[in-house]
Amino acid sequence: MQVSLANLNKSYNGINILDINSLVFKRGVISALLGPNGTGKTTLLNIIAGLDKNFTGKVKYNDMNYSEAIGRKITMLFQNVQLFRRSVYENIEYPLRLRGFSRENRKNKVRRVMDLLGITHLMSKRGHFLSGGEIQKVALARSIVFEPELLLLDEPTSNLDPESLEAFENHILKYNKDTNNTIIYVTHNLEHAKRVCREAYFLRNGEVIKEDGIF
Amino acid sequence: MDYILEGILEALNLLISFDSEAYGIIFLSLFVSYAATLISAVVFVPFGIYLGLAEFKAKKLFSRFLYAFMSVPSVVVGLFVAIMLSRRGPLGCLQLLYTPSAMVIAQFILVSPLIMSLVFSMTIQDGKILEKYGKTLGASKLQIILLIIREKKLSILVNITAGFSKAISEVGAAMIVGGNIKGHTRVITTTIAMSNSMGDYPFAIALGIVLLLISLVNSSFISNYREGIV
Repeated sequence: MQVSLANLNKSYNGINILDINSLVFKRGVISALLGPNGTGKTTLLNIIAGLDKNFTGKVKYNDMNYSEAIGRKITMLFQNVQLFRRSVYENIEYPLRLRGFSRENRKNKVRRVMDLLGITHLMSKRGHFLSGGEIQKVALARSIVFEPELLLLDEPTSNLDPESLEAFENHILKYNKDTNNTIIYVTHNLEHAKRVCREAYFLRNGEVIKEDGIF
Repeated sequence: MDYILEGILEALNLLISFDSEAYGIIFLSLFVSYAATLISAVVFVPFGIYLGLAEFKAKKLFSRFLYAFMSVPSVVVGLFVAIMLSRRGPLGCLQLLYTPSAMVIAQFILVSPLIMSLVFSMTIQDGKILEKYGKTLGASKLQIILLIIREKKLSILVNITAGFSKAISEVGAAMIVGGNIKGHTRVITTTIAMSNSMGDYPFAIALGIVLLLISLVNSSFISNYREGIV
């Protein structure tokens, strides 16, 4: 899915939070959204995810406006994600249930993504009893199990140890390679962005600057 | 002091001997209050969540009204329902006054603002994050409401229990719309009030003990449920 922003403006109490003339996240590309805290990165992701509709300007998804059908092709992985109070299997299965997949189909898809992320041993554990790294892996599994065309990652690695971080980044790269789906990766860590992303944009005071020199 | 002890002993005897009048009153009380609470929960738990998630201009004003209705006196509700259901009232043709159905309606009106406002404030506090997760995973509005009900089931159950406690312990509305008719609309609270005024303490104490037991059973159920799901 390609995402195009035009004349996007978001302000709160008279303060400009985002002011983007033009920005395109290309289909199949992992793009980094860099910048220090409080520069509007999460706000921009919320707008793209359809969670925040209080803005002016245009956001197009493959040249179409946001709709419920488009929203079902997008997902967002949050920084401090929580799992539902049910088993890991049921957590991952949840988006497939919402989309009416058959029981057999759900089972196959959940097992496949659990194998991919190496979390099969957690299958019957309750979601809210896991460690931070395990929660993040299960949350990633829940986000990619239905193969969203646009995956938004809001600093999802901030609570991970170096080993889990590397594994997480490898999963993101493999997901992108296997599906050719678009990923927008918000981080303030340049090294993470270099390892995972093909393009990078820097947000400063709500304005966006394309970073061509970092790769 | 002896009459209190005698009253307690007689009360226990009434319960152990399965006195038909006492048990008829107990079962009617449970039926009326459970029916009112259940109907209210089915309607106002999803509606409270929906309004808690919705953004509208008068939300603050609405919540103030809702919280004010939480403490509406039961006699006022009873009076309102009695006027509506009286022979000359707008719903008089239904001939429901002085029936258990009228008591269910009155208790439904009494507990609904309590259940709805507790669910409403729970959703404002904890529901937004679940809405966010649900939305980004592809849930529709209805699916988000169902998600919140499932995730917050313990809080919701506590809220419903609070509603039931209010229903089963109220006396004003039941007295006004039920009329405390023996064998027909006599419930625990109206019987306790009547027995006390007649000096029939054993019967009043027996039903008082049952009310306490009902509260104990409810709280034990919630505690066991909490231990089971946490």
